Amino acid sequence: MSDFNSGFFVGGEACNGRVLVVDDEPDIRKVVKMTLQKAGYAVLEAENGEKAIEVINSGENRLMLDVMICDIRMPKVNGAEAIAYFRSNYPHVPLIVLTGFPDTDMATSFLRQGVVDYLVKPVEGEKLRSAVARAMEQRELARL
Amino acid sequence: MEHSDPTKVAILGAGRGGRALLDLLHQIPSIEIVGITDRDPAAPGLQRARTLHIPVTTNVPDLIGNHGVQLIMDVTGNPEMETYLKAHKPPTADILSGSASRLLWKLIQHESKLEAELLQAEKLAGIGSFAAGIAHDINNPLQLILGLAENLAEERDVAAVHEQALDIIEAVKRTSAICRDLTRYSRRASPHEDVSVSINAKLDEALKIARYASSFHDIEMLKQYQPGAAVKGNPDELLHVFVNLITNAVHAMEQAGGTLTLETRVLGGQVDIRISDTGCGIAPEKIPEIFEPFFTTKAPGKGTGLGLYNVNTIVSKMHGQITVESKVDQGSTFTLTFPHAQPAGEGSP
Ligand SMILES: Nc1ncnc2c1ncn2[C@@H]1O[C@H](COP(=O)(O)OP(=O)(O)O)[C@@H](O)[C@H]1O
Ligand SMILES: [Mg+2]
Repeated sequence: MSDFNSGFFVGGEACNGRVLVVDDEPDIRKVVKMTLQKAGYAVLEAENGEKAIEVINSGENRLMLDVMICDIRMPKVNGAEAIAYFRSNYPHVPLIVLTGFPDTDMATSFLRQGVVDYLVKPVEGEKLRSAVARAMEQRELARL
Repeated sequence: MEHSDPTKVAILGAGRGGRALLDLLHQIPSIEIVGITDRDPAAPGLQRARTLHIPVTTNVPDLIGNHGVQLIMDVTGNPEMETYLKAHKPPTADILSGSASRLLWKLIQHESKLEAELLQAEKLAGIGSFAAGIAHDINNPLQLILGLAENLAEERDVAAVHEQALDIIEAVKRTSAICRDLTRYSRRASPHEDVSVSINAKLDEALKIARYASSFHDIEMLKQYQPGAAVKGNPDELLHVFVNLITNAVHAMEQAGGTLTLETRVLGGQVDIRISDTGCGIAPEKIPEIFEPFFTTKAPGKGTGLGLYNVNTIVSKMHGQITVESKVDQGSTFTLTFPHAQPAGEGSP
Protein backbone atom coordinates (compact mmCIF):
# COMPACT_ATOMS: atom_id res chain seq x y z
CA MET A 1 0.00 0.00 0.00
CA SER A 2 3.05 2.24 -0.25
CA ASP A 3 1.57 4.15 -3.18
CA PHE A 4 -1.09 5.56 -0.84
CA ASN A 5 1.37 6.92 1.65
CA SER A 6 1.92 10.28 0.09
CA GLY A 7 -0.60 12.83 1.28
CA PHE A 8 -1.36 15.09 4.20
CA PHE A 9 -1.95 14.24 7.82
CA VAL A 10 -5.07 14.13 9.96
CA GLY A 11 -4.69 13.64 13.71
CA GLY A 12 -1.13 12.45 13.27
CA GLU A 13 -2.01 9.75 10.72
CA ALA A 14 -1.22 9.62 7.06
CA CYS A 15 -4.28 10.72 5.13
CA ASN A 16 -4.94 10.34 1.45
CA GLY A 17 -8.21 12.21 1.72
CA ARG A 18 -11.47 12.49 3.58
CA VAL A 19 -14.41 10.36 2.55
CA LEU A 20 -17.96 10.69 3.85
CA VAL A 21 -20.04 7.49 3.85
CA VAL A 22 -23.80 8.01 3.89
CA ASP A 23 -25.75 4.83 4.62
CA ASP A 24 -28.50 4.02 7.08
CA GLU A 25 -26.94 0.65 7.90
CA PRO A 26 -24.19 0.81 10.53
CA ASP A 27 -22.81 -2.47 9.14
CA ILE A 28 -22.23 -0.92 5.76
CA ARG A 29 -20.59 2.18 7.21
CA LYS A 30 -18.37 -0.05 9.32
CA VAL A 31 -17.20 -2.25 6.49
CA VAL A 32 -16.70 0.62 4.02
CA LYS A 33 -14.69 2.42 6.66
CA MET A 34 -12.59 -0.68 7.23
CA THR A 35 -11.94 -1.03 3.51
CA LEU A 36 -10.99 2.58 2.92
CA GLN A 37 -8.93 3.08 6.04
CA LYS A 38 -6.61 0.38 4.74
CA ALA A 39 -5.92 2.63 1.79
CA GLY A 40 -5.12 5.54 4.07
CA TYR A 41 -8.38 7.48 3.83
CA ALA A 42 -10.02 9.18 6.78
CA VAL A 43 -13.68 8.12 6.83
CA LEU A 44 -16.59 10.16 8.19
CA GLU A 45 -20.05 8.67 8.62
CA ALA A 46 -23.63 9.86 8.31
CA GLU A 47 -26.75 7.72 8.66
CA ASN A 48 -28.95 9.75 6.33
CA GLY A 49 -29.00 12.67 3.92
CA GLU A 50 -29.91 15.17 6.61
CA LYS A 51 -26.99 14.14 8.82
CA ALA A 52 -24.71 14.20 5.78
CA ILE A 53 -25.60 17.82 5.14
CA GLU A 54 -24.79 18.60 8.78
CA VAL A 55 -21.44 16.86 8.48
CA ILE A 56 -20.57 18.65 5.27
CA ASN A 57 -21.42 22.02 6.72
CA SER A 58 -19.61 21.54 9.98
CA GLY A 59 -16.35 23.45 10.41
CA GLU A 60 -13.41 22.26 8.41
CA ASN A 61 -15.29 19.57 6.46
CA ARG A 62 -16.67 22.27 4.23
CA LEU A 63 -13.25 22.69 2.75
CA MET A 64 -11.65 19.37 3.45
CA LEU A 65 -14.20 16.80 2.37
CA ASP A 66 -12.94 15.06 -0.73
CA VAL A 67 -15.40 12.33 -1.72
CA MET A 68 -18.89 11.18 -0.80
CA ILE A 69 -20.24 7.64 -0.98
CA CYS A 70 -24.00 7.56 -0.83
CA ASP A 71 -26.72 4.89 -0.60
CA ILE A 72 -30.10 5.48 -2.25
CA ARG A 73 -32.76 3.70 -0.22
CA MET A 74 -32.66 5.38 3.19
CA PRO A 75 -35.11 6.81 5.70
CA LYS A 76 -35.57 10.59 6.14
CA VAL A 77 -34.29 12.56 3.13
CA ASN A 78 -34.19 9.79 0.60
CA GLY A 79 -30.99 9.02 -1.24
CA ALA A 80 -32.06 10.18 -4.69
CA GLU A 81 -33.15 13.56 -3.32
CA ALA A 82 -29.99 13.81 -1.25
CA ILE A 83 -27.83 13.08 -4.28
CA ALA A 84 -29.55 15.72 -6.40
CA TYR A 85 -29.08 18.16 -3.51
CA PHE A 86 -25.37 17.37 -3.13
CA ARG A 87 -24.76 17.61 -6.84
CA SER A 88 -26.25 21.07 -7.07
CA ASN A 89 -24.94 22.45 -3.76
CA TYR A 90 -21.50 20.82 -3.56
CA PRO A 91 -20.59 20.23 -7.19
CA HIS A 92 -16.89 20.20 -6.31
CA VAL A 93 -17.28 17.10 -4.07
CA PRO A 94 -17.26 13.99 -6.29
CA LEU A 95 -19.94 11.47 -5.43
CA ILE A 96 -20.07 7.68 -5.67
CA VAL A 97 -23.39 5.86 -5.43
CA LEU A 98 -23.25 2.57 -3.53
CA THR A 99 -26.63 0.87 -3.64
CA GLY A 100 -28.25 -2.48 -3.04
CA PHE A 101 -30.58 -2.14 -5.97
CA PRO A 102 -29.28 -2.20 -9.54
CA ASP A 103 -31.53 0.11 -11.54
CA THR A 104 -30.38 1.14 -15.00
CA ASP A 105 -32.68 4.15 -15.27
CA MET A 106 -31.52 5.48 -11.95
CA ALA A 107 -27.88 4.82 -12.75
CA THR A 108 -28.19 6.74 -16.02
CA SER A 109 -29.84 9.66 -14.31
CA PHE A 110 -27.15 9.80 -11.62
CA LEU A 111 -24.30 9.56 -14.08
CA ARG A 112 -25.91 12.39 -16.02
CA GLN A 113 -25.87 14.42 -12.81
CA GLY A 114 -22.13 13.95 -12.70
CA VAL A 115 -21.91 11.05 -10.28
CA VAL A 116 -18.46 9.42 -10.57
CA ASP A 117 -19.59 5.84 -10.24
CA TYR A 118 -22.68 3.74 -9.61
CA LEU A 119 -21.63 0.68 -7.62
CA VAL A 120 -23.94 -2.15 -6.68
CA LYS A 121 -23.46 -3.92 -3.36
CA PRO A 122 -21.72 -6.17 -2.69
CA VAL A 123 -18.66 -4.49 -4.17
CA GLU A 124 -15.08 -5.77 -3.72
CA GLY A 125 -12.71 -3.63 -1.69
CA GLU A 126 -10.42 -3.23 -4.69
CA LYS A 127 -13.20 -1.86 -6.86
CA LEU A 128 -14.37 0.52 -4.18
CA ARG A 129 -10.86 1.80 -3.56
CA SER A 130 -10.23 2.39 -7.25
CA ALA A 131 -13.54 4.26 -7.57
CA VAL A 132 -12.50 6.45 -4.66
CA ALA A 133 -9.07 6.98 -6.21
CA ARG A 134 -10.71 8.12 -9.45
CA ALA A 135 -12.97 10.44 -7.50
CA MET A 136 -9.93 11.84 -5.72
CA GLU A 137 -8.38 12.71 -9.08
CA GLN A 138 -11.51 14.66 -9.98
CA ARG A 139 -11.32 16.40 -6.64
CA GLU A 140 -7.72 17.41 -7.32
CA LEU A 141 -8.73 18.79 -10.70
CA ALA A 142 -11.51 20.81 -9.05
CA ARG A 143 -8.94 22.32 -6.68
CA LEU A 144 -6.72 23.53 -9.51
CA MET B 1 -89.36 -5.31 7.35
CA GLU B 2 -92.73 -6.99 6.71
CA HIS B 3 -91.85 -8.46 3.31
CA SER B 4 -88.36 -9.51 4.33
CA ASP B 5 -88.93 -11.99 7.12
CA PRO B 6 -85.95 -14.29 6.79
CA THR B 7 -86.39 -17.62 5.06
CA LYS B 8 -86.09 -20.43 7.61
CA VAL B 9 -83.64 -23.09 6.54
CA ALA B 10 -82.71 -26.45 8.07
CA ILE B 11 -79.44 -28.13 7.07
CA LEU B 12 -79.25 -31.93 7.18
CA GLY B 13 -75.68 -33.18 7.10
CA ALA B 14 -72.74 -31.43 8.67
CA GLY B 15 -69.79 -32.85 6.75
CA ARG B 16 -67.71 -30.61 4.53
CA GLY B 17 -70.72 -29.83 2.34
CA GLY B 18 -72.87 -28.93 5.32
CA ARG B 19 -70.17 -26.76 6.76
CA ALA B 20 -69.66 -24.91 3.48
CA LEU B 21 -73.41 -24.32 3.24
CA LEU B 22 -73.44 -23.05 6.78
CA ASP B 23 -70.60 -20.63 6.09
CA LEU B 24 -72.31 -19.35 3.00
CA LEU B 25 -75.89 -19.08 4.25
CA HIS B 26 -74.99 -17.59 7.58
CA GLN B 27 -73.59 -14.53 5.80
CA ILE B 28 -76.90 -13.87 4.04
CA PRO B 29 -79.18 -11.66 6.15
CA SER B 30 -82.40 -12.86 4.47
CA ILE B 31 -81.76 -16.42 5.62
CA GLU B 32 -82.21 -17.81 9.11
CA ILE B 33 -80.63 -21.17 9.84
CA VAL B 34 -82.93 -22.80 12.38
CA GLY B 35 -80.67 -25.78 12.94
CA ILE B 36 -78.22 -28.31 11.59
CA THR B 37 -78.02 -32.03 12.19
CA ASP B 38 -75.66 -34.94 11.67
CA ARG B 39 -75.36 -38.49 12.95
CA ASP B 40 -71.67 -37.93 13.73
CA PRO B 41 -71.31 -35.68 16.79
CA ALA B 42 -67.77 -34.74 15.67
CA ALA B 43 -68.83 -33.58 12.18
CA PRO B 44 -66.98 -30.37 11.24
CA GLY B 45 -70.19 -28.51 10.44
CA LEU B 46 -71.51 -29.11 13.95
CA GLN B 47 -68.42 -27.56 15.49
CA ARG B 48 -68.71 -24.57 13.20
CA ALA B 49 -72.44 -24.25 14.08
CA ARG B 50 -71.63 -24.09 17.80
CA THR B 51 -69.19 -21.23 17.33
CA LEU B 52 -71.85 -19.42 15.29
CA HIS B 53 -74.53 -20.08 17.94
CA ILE B 54 -76.67 -22.04 15.52
CA PRO B 55 -78.74 -24.83 17.14
CA VAL B 56 -77.32 -28.32 16.74
CA THR B 57 -79.58 -31.34 17.04
CA THR B 58 -79.75 -35.08 16.34
CA ASN B 59 -83.52 -35.03 16.20
CA VAL B 60 -84.41 -34.78 12.51
CA PRO B 61 -88.22 -35.02 12.91
CA ASP B 62 -88.18 -32.16 15.42
CA LEU B 63 -85.88 -30.01 13.29
CA ILE B 64 -87.96 -30.25 10.13
CA GLY B 65 -91.37 -30.40 11.83
CA ASN B 66 -91.44 -27.85 14.62
CA HIS B 67 -89.61 -24.70 13.62
CA GLY B 68 -91.58 -23.30 10.71
CA VAL B 69 -88.90 -24.51 8.32
CA GLN B 70 -89.44 -23.32 4.75
CA LEU B 71 -86.45 -24.93 3.08
CA ILE B 72 -84.77 -28.23 3.93
CA MET B 73 -81.30 -28.64 2.52
CA ASP B 74 -80.22 -32.25 2.53
CA VAL B 75 -76.50 -32.73 2.04
CA THR B 76 -76.26 -36.06 3.84
CA GLY B 77 -75.86 -37.90 0.53
CA ASN B 78 -77.96 -40.62 2.11
CA PRO B 79 -80.76 -42.08 -0.11
CA GLU B 80 -82.73 -43.17 2.97
CA MET B 81 -82.85 -39.56 4.11
CA GLU B 82 -84.28 -38.57 0.74
CA THR B 83 -87.04 -41.16 1.07
CA TYR B 84 -87.73 -40.16 4.65
CA LEU B 85 -88.04 -36.48 3.73
CA LYS B 86 -90.43 -37.19 0.84
CA ALA B 87 -92.74 -38.94 3.29
CA HIS B 88 -92.44 -36.65 6.31
CA LYS B 89 -91.71 -33.10 5.25
CA PRO B 90 -94.20 -30.45 6.32
CA PRO B 91 -96.39 -29.38 3.40
CA THR B 92 -95.11 -25.77 3.50
CA ALA B 93 -91.44 -26.75 3.21
CA ASP B 94 -89.41 -27.20 0.03
CA ILE B 95 -86.65 -29.77 -0.22
CA LEU B 96 -83.30 -29.44 -1.86
CA SER B 97 -81.68 -32.83 -2.08
CA GLY B 98 -80.12 -35.44 -4.34
CA SER B 99 -78.60 -34.08 -7.54
CA ALA B 100 -79.78 -30.51 -6.83
CA SER B 101 -77.88 -30.36 -3.59
CA ARG B 102 -74.82 -31.98 -5.18
CA LEU B 103 -74.90 -29.28 -7.85
CA LEU B 104 -75.10 -26.60 -5.17
CA TRP B 105 -72.15 -28.17 -3.35
CA LYS B 106 -70.13 -28.13 -6.57
CA LEU B 107 -70.94 -24.45 -7.14
CA ILE B 108 -69.85 -23.61 -3.64
CA GLN B 109 -66.60 -25.50 -4.08
CA HIS B 110 -66.01 -23.74 -7.36
CA GLU B 111 -66.56 -20.37 -5.78
CA SER B 112 -64.17 -21.05 -2.95
CA LYS B 113 -61.57 -22.15 -5.50
CA LEU B 114 -62.03 -18.91 -7.43
CA GLU B 115 -61.68 -17.01 -4.20
CA ALA B 116 -58.36 -18.72 -3.45
CA GLU B 117 -57.17 -17.96 -7.00
CA LEU B 118 -58.03 -14.31 -6.62
CA LEU B 119 -56.20 -14.13 -3.33
CA GLN B 120 -53.09 -15.66 -4.81
CA ALA B 121 -53.26 -13.47 -7.93
CA GLU B 122 -53.43 -10.33 -5.85
CA LYS B 123 -50.54 -11.47 -3.68
CA LEU B 124 -48.36 -12.25 -6.68
CA ALA B 125 -49.22 -8.94 -8.34
CA GLY B 126 -47.98 -7.21 -5.20
CA ILE B 127 -44.74 -9.14 -5.02
CA GLY B 128 -43.45 -7.32 -8.10
CA SER B 129 -43.00 -4.27 -5.93
CA PHE B 130 -40.80 -6.22 -3.50
CA ALA B 131 -37.78 -6.32 -5.80
CA ALA B 132 -36.16 -3.11 -4.55
CA GLY B 133 -36.70 -4.03 -0.92
CA ILE B 134 -35.39 -7.56 -1.32
CA ALA B 135 -32.31 -6.45 -3.24
CA HIS B 136 -31.56 -3.89 -0.55
CA ASP B 137 -32.01 -6.34 2.30
CA ILE B 138 -29.94 -9.07 0.71
CA ASN B 139 -27.16 -6.96 -0.76
CA ASN B 140 -26.49 -5.05 2.44
CA PRO B 141 -25.54 -8.13 4.47
CA LEU B 142 -23.64 -9.44 1.42
CA GLN B 143 -21.57 -6.26 1.44
CA LEU B 144 -20.78 -6.82 5.09
CA ILE B 145 -19.87 -10.46 4.47
CA LEU B 146 -17.64 -9.63 1.51
CA GLY B 147 -15.89 -6.77 3.30
CA LEU B 148 -15.25 -8.80 6.42
CA ALA B 149 -14.05 -11.83 4.47
CA GLU B 150 -11.61 -9.68 2.49
CA ASN B 151 -10.34 -8.30 5.75
CA LEU B 152 -10.10 -11.74 7.36
CA ALA B 153 -7.76 -12.87 4.61
CA GLU B 154 -5.19 -10.44 6.00
CA GLU B 155 -6.24 -10.13 9.63
CA ARG B 156 -3.56 -11.19 12.12
CA ASP B 157 -5.35 -10.39 15.37
CA VAL B 158 -7.05 -13.57 16.58
CA ALA B 159 -9.65 -11.73 18.65
CA ALA B 160 -10.62 -9.64 15.61
CA VAL B 161 -10.83 -12.76 13.45
CA HIS B 162 -13.16 -14.35 15.96
CA GLU B 163 -15.41 -11.31 16.19
CA GLN B 164 -15.63 -10.83 12.43
CA ALA B 165 -16.39 -14.48 11.82
CA LEU B 166 -19.34 -14.17 14.22
CA ASP B 167 -20.51 -11.04 12.36
CA ILE B 168 -20.45 -13.02 9.13
CA ILE B 169 -22.52 -15.82 10.64
CA GLU B 170 -25.09 -13.30 11.86
CA ALA B 171 -25.26 -11.66 8.44
CA VAL B 172 -25.79 -15.00 6.71
CA LYS B 173 -28.63 -15.82 9.11
CA ARG B 174 -30.28 -12.48 8.44
CA THR B 175 -30.08 -13.06 4.70
CA SER B 176 -31.58 -16.52 4.85
CA ALA B 177 -34.40 -15.25 7.08
CA ILE B 178 -35.44 -12.92 4.25
CA CYS B 179 -35.87 -15.83 1.86
CA ARG B 180 -37.76 -17.79 4.49
CA ASP B 181 -40.19 -14.93 5.20
CA LEU B 182 -40.82 -14.32 1.54
CA THR B 183 -41.39 -17.89 0.52
CA ARG B 184 -43.78 -18.30 3.41
CA TYR B 185 -45.70 -15.26 2.29
CA SER B 186 -45.79 -15.98 -1.42
CA ARG B 187 -46.97 -19.58 -1.19
CA ARG B 188 -50.64 -20.36 -1.59
CA ALA B 189 -52.53 -20.16 1.71
CA SER B 190 -52.44 -23.69 3.03
CA PRO B 191 -55.96 -25.04 3.28
CA HIS B 192 -55.44 -26.48 6.74
CA GLU B 193 -58.02 -26.31 9.50
CA ASP B 194 -58.27 -23.16 11.55
CA VAL B 195 -55.81 -22.85 14.39
CA SER B 196 -55.22 -20.37 17.18
CA VAL B 197 -53.03 -17.58 15.77
CA SER B 198 -51.11 -15.17 17.95
CA ILE B 199 -52.04 -11.77 16.58
CA ASN B 200 -49.07 -9.80 17.87
CA ALA B 201 -46.54 -12.14 16.28
CA LYS B 202 -48.53 -12.17 13.03
CA LEU B 203 -48.59 -8.36 12.92
CA ASP B 204 -44.81 -8.27 13.36
CA GLU B 205 -44.37 -10.81 10.58
CA ALA B 206 -46.62 -8.73 8.32
CA LEU B 207 -44.61 -5.65 9.13
CA LYS B 208 -41.44 -7.34 7.90
CA ILE B 209 -43.12 -8.31 4.63
CA ALA B 210 -44.69 -4.89 4.13
CA ARG B 211 -41.25 -3.29 4.44
CA TYR B 212 -40.19 -5.04 1.25
CA ALA B 213 -43.23 -3.79 -0.59
CA SER B 214 -42.97 -0.12 0.28
CA SER B 215 -40.46 2.25 1.67
CA PHE B 216 -41.14 3.17 5.29
CA HIS B 217 -39.34 6.40 4.59
CA ASP B 218 -40.36 9.01 7.21
CA ILE B 219 -42.80 6.71 8.97
CA GLU B 220 -42.83 6.35 12.71
CA MET B 221 -44.01 3.07 14.23
CA LEU B 222 -46.11 2.73 17.31
CA LYS B 223 -47.06 -0.68 18.73
CA GLN B 224 -49.60 -1.15 21.46
CA TYR B 225 -49.95 -4.88 21.83
CA GLN B 226 -51.93 -6.66 24.48
CA PRO B 227 -50.12 -9.91 25.29
CA GLY B 228 -52.01 -13.10 24.52
CA ALA B 229 -54.27 -11.70 21.79
CA ALA B 230 -55.25 -14.69 19.65
CA VAL B 231 -57.92 -15.56 17.11
CA LYS B 232 -58.94 -18.73 15.34
CA GLY B 233 -58.20 -18.80 11.65
CA ASN B 234 -55.80 -19.63 8.85
CA PRO B 235 -52.37 -18.10 9.68
CA ASP B 236 -51.47 -17.52 6.02
CA GLU B 237 -54.70 -15.71 5.35
CA LEU B 238 -54.34 -13.54 8.43
CA LEU B 239 -50.83 -12.62 7.36
CA HIS B 240 -52.25 -11.61 4.00
CA VAL B 241 -54.89 -9.41 5.68
CA PHE B 242 -52.32 -7.60 7.82
CA VAL B 243 -49.83 -7.09 4.98
CA ASN B 244 -52.61 -5.51 2.93
CA LEU B 245 -53.80 -3.15 5.66
CA ILE B 246 -50.26 -2.11 6.63
CA THR B 247 -49.27 -1.55 3.01
CA ASN B 248 -52.34 0.61 2.43
CA ALA B 249 -51.52 2.64 5.55
CA VAL B 250 -47.94 3.19 4.41
CA HIS B 251 -49.07 4.17 0.91
CA ALA B 252 -51.46 6.71 2.45
CA MET B 253 -48.51 8.36 4.23
CA GLU B 254 -46.19 8.30 1.25
CA GLN B 255 -46.33 12.03 0.56
CA ALA B 256 -45.86 13.52 4.00
CA GLY B 257 -44.77 10.68 6.28
CA GLY B 258 -46.62 10.06 9.53
CA THR B 259 -47.28 7.50 12.22
CA LEU B 260 -48.34 3.89 11.75
CA THR B 261 -50.02 2.49 14.84
CA LEU B 262 -50.65 -1.20 15.41
CA GLU B 263 -52.86 -1.98 18.34
CA THR B 264 -54.37 -5.16 19.77
CA ARG B 265 -56.88 -5.41 22.57
CA VAL B 266 -58.72 -8.26 24.22
CA LEU B 267 -62.01 -7.25 25.76
CA GLY B 268 -65.13 -9.20 26.67
CA GLY B 269 -64.29 -12.30 24.63
CA GLN B 270 -63.34 -10.23 21.60
CA VAL B 271 -60.08 -9.22 20.01
CA ASP B 272 -59.79 -5.79 18.44
CA ILE B 273 -56.97 -5.22 16.00
CA ARG B 274 -56.45 -1.65 14.94
CA ILE B 275 -54.23 -0.43 12.14
CA SER B 276 -54.08 3.35 11.98
CA ASP B 277 -52.26 5.84 9.82
CA THR B 278 -52.01 9.61 9.77
CA GLY B 279 -52.09 9.70 5.98
CA CYS B 280 -54.30 11.14 3.25
CA GLY B 281 -57.58 9.66 4.54
CA ILE B 282 -60.63 8.58 2.52
CA ALA B 283 -63.52 10.81 1.48
CA PRO B 284 -66.78 9.72 3.22
CA GLU B 285 -68.54 9.01 -0.09
CA LYS B 286 -65.68 6.71 -1.15
CA ILE B 287 -65.71 4.55 1.96
CA PRO B 288 -68.42 2.14 0.72
CA GLU B 289 -66.44 1.70 -2.52
CA ILE B 290 -63.04 0.75 -1.13
CA PHE B 291 -64.07 -2.86 -0.50
CA GLU B 292 -65.33 -3.27 -4.06
CA PRO B 293 -63.10 -5.37 -6.30
CA PHE B 294 -60.85 -3.26 -8.56
CA PHE B 295 -61.53 0.02 -6.79
CA THR B 296 -58.17 1.72 -6.57
CA THR B 297 -56.83 5.25 -6.55
CA LYS B 298 -53.28 4.04 -7.13
CA ALA B 299 -51.23 3.96 -10.30
CA PRO B 300 -51.23 0.72 -12.28
CA GLY B 301 -48.51 -1.54 -10.96
CA LYS B 302 -48.88 -0.07 -7.52
CA GLY B 303 -52.46 -1.02 -6.73
CA THR B 304 -54.78 -3.75 -7.98
CA GLY B 305 -57.86 -2.65 -6.07
CA LEU B 306 -58.21 -6.21 -4.84
CA GLY B 307 -56.54 -5.79 -1.47
CA LEU B 308 -59.49 -4.74 0.65
CA TYR B 309 -61.86 -6.96 -1.29
CA ASN B 310 -59.76 -9.96 -0.30
CA VAL B 311 -59.34 -8.65 3.24
CA ASN B 312 -63.10 -8.48 3.54
CA THR B 313 -63.56 -12.00 2.14
CA ILE B 314 -61.12 -13.47 4.65
CA VAL B 315 -62.46 -11.51 7.60
CA SER B 316 -66.06 -12.52 7.00
CA LYS B 317 -65.00 -16.11 6.47
CA MET B 318 -63.42 -15.90 9.93
CA HIS B 319 -66.67 -14.48 11.33
CA GLY B 320 -64.96 -11.21 12.07
CA GLN B 321 -65.92 -7.66 11.32
CA ILE B 322 -64.06 -4.80 9.73
CA THR B 323 -64.83 -1.13 10.26
CA VAL B 324 -63.21 2.01 8.88
CA GLU B 325 -62.95 5.46 10.36
CA SER B 326 -61.31 8.07 8.23
CA LYS B 327 -60.89 11.80 7.85
CA VAL B 328 -59.44 13.36 4.75
CA ASP B 329 -55.90 14.63 5.38
CA GLN B 330 -55.92 13.30 8.93
CA GLY B 331 -55.74 9.56 8.47
CA SER B 332 -57.61 6.29 8.68
CA THR B 333 -58.17 3.54 11.18
CA PHE B 334 -59.13 0.02 10.13
CA THR B 335 -60.48 -2.05 13.02
CA LEU B 336 -60.88 -5.81 12.87
CA THR B 337 -62.94 -7.58 15.49
CA PHE B 338 -62.83 -11.33 16.03
CA PRO B 339 -63.96 -13.71 18.74
CA HIS B 340 -61.03 -14.25 21.10
CA ALA B 341 -59.37 -17.66 20.95
CA GLN B 342 -57.29 -19.42 23.54
CA PRO B 343 -53.64 -18.62 22.74
CA ALA B 344 -51.90 -21.68 21.30
CA GLY B 345 -49.77 -23.67 23.69
CA GLU B 346 -51.58 -22.52 26.82
CA GLY B 347 -53.98 -24.59 28.87
CA SER B 348 -57.75 -24.27 28.76
CA PRO B 349 -59.32 -21.42 30.78
N1 LIG C 1 -55.28 3.50 4.87
C1 LIG C 1 -55.81 4.09 3.79
N2 LIG C 1 -55.77 5.43 3.64
C2 LIG C 1 -56.29 6.02 2.56
N3 LIG C 1 -56.89 5.36 1.54
C3 LIG C 1 -56.97 4.03 1.63
C4 LIG C 1 -56.44 3.32 2.75
N4 LIG C 1 -56.67 2.00 2.54
C5 LIG C 1 -57.32 1.90 1.37
N5 LIG C 1 -57.49 3.11 0.80
C6 LIG C 1 -58.16 3.40 -0.48
O1 LIG C 1 -58.86 2.26 -0.90
C7 LIG C 1 -58.41 1.84 -2.20
C8 LIG C 1 -58.52 0.35 -2.33
O2 LIG C 1 -57.59 -0.31 -1.50
P1 LIG C 1 -57.17 -1.78 -1.85
O3 LIG C 1 -58.38 -2.59 -2.04
O4 LIG C 1 -56.17 -2.24 -0.83
O5 LIG C 1 -56.49 -1.67 -3.27
P2 LIG C 1 -55.11 -0.98 -3.69
O6 LIG C 1 -54.30 -0.78 -2.44
O7 LIG C 1 -54.51 -1.97 -4.61
O8 LIG C 1 -55.48 0.32 -4.35
C9 LIG C 1 -57.02 2.42 -2.32
O9 LIG C 1 -56.64 2.60 -3.66
C10 LIG C 1 -57.16 3.74 -1.56
O10 LIG C 1 -57.74 4.72 -2.37
MG1 LIG D 1 -53.96 -2.29 -0.99
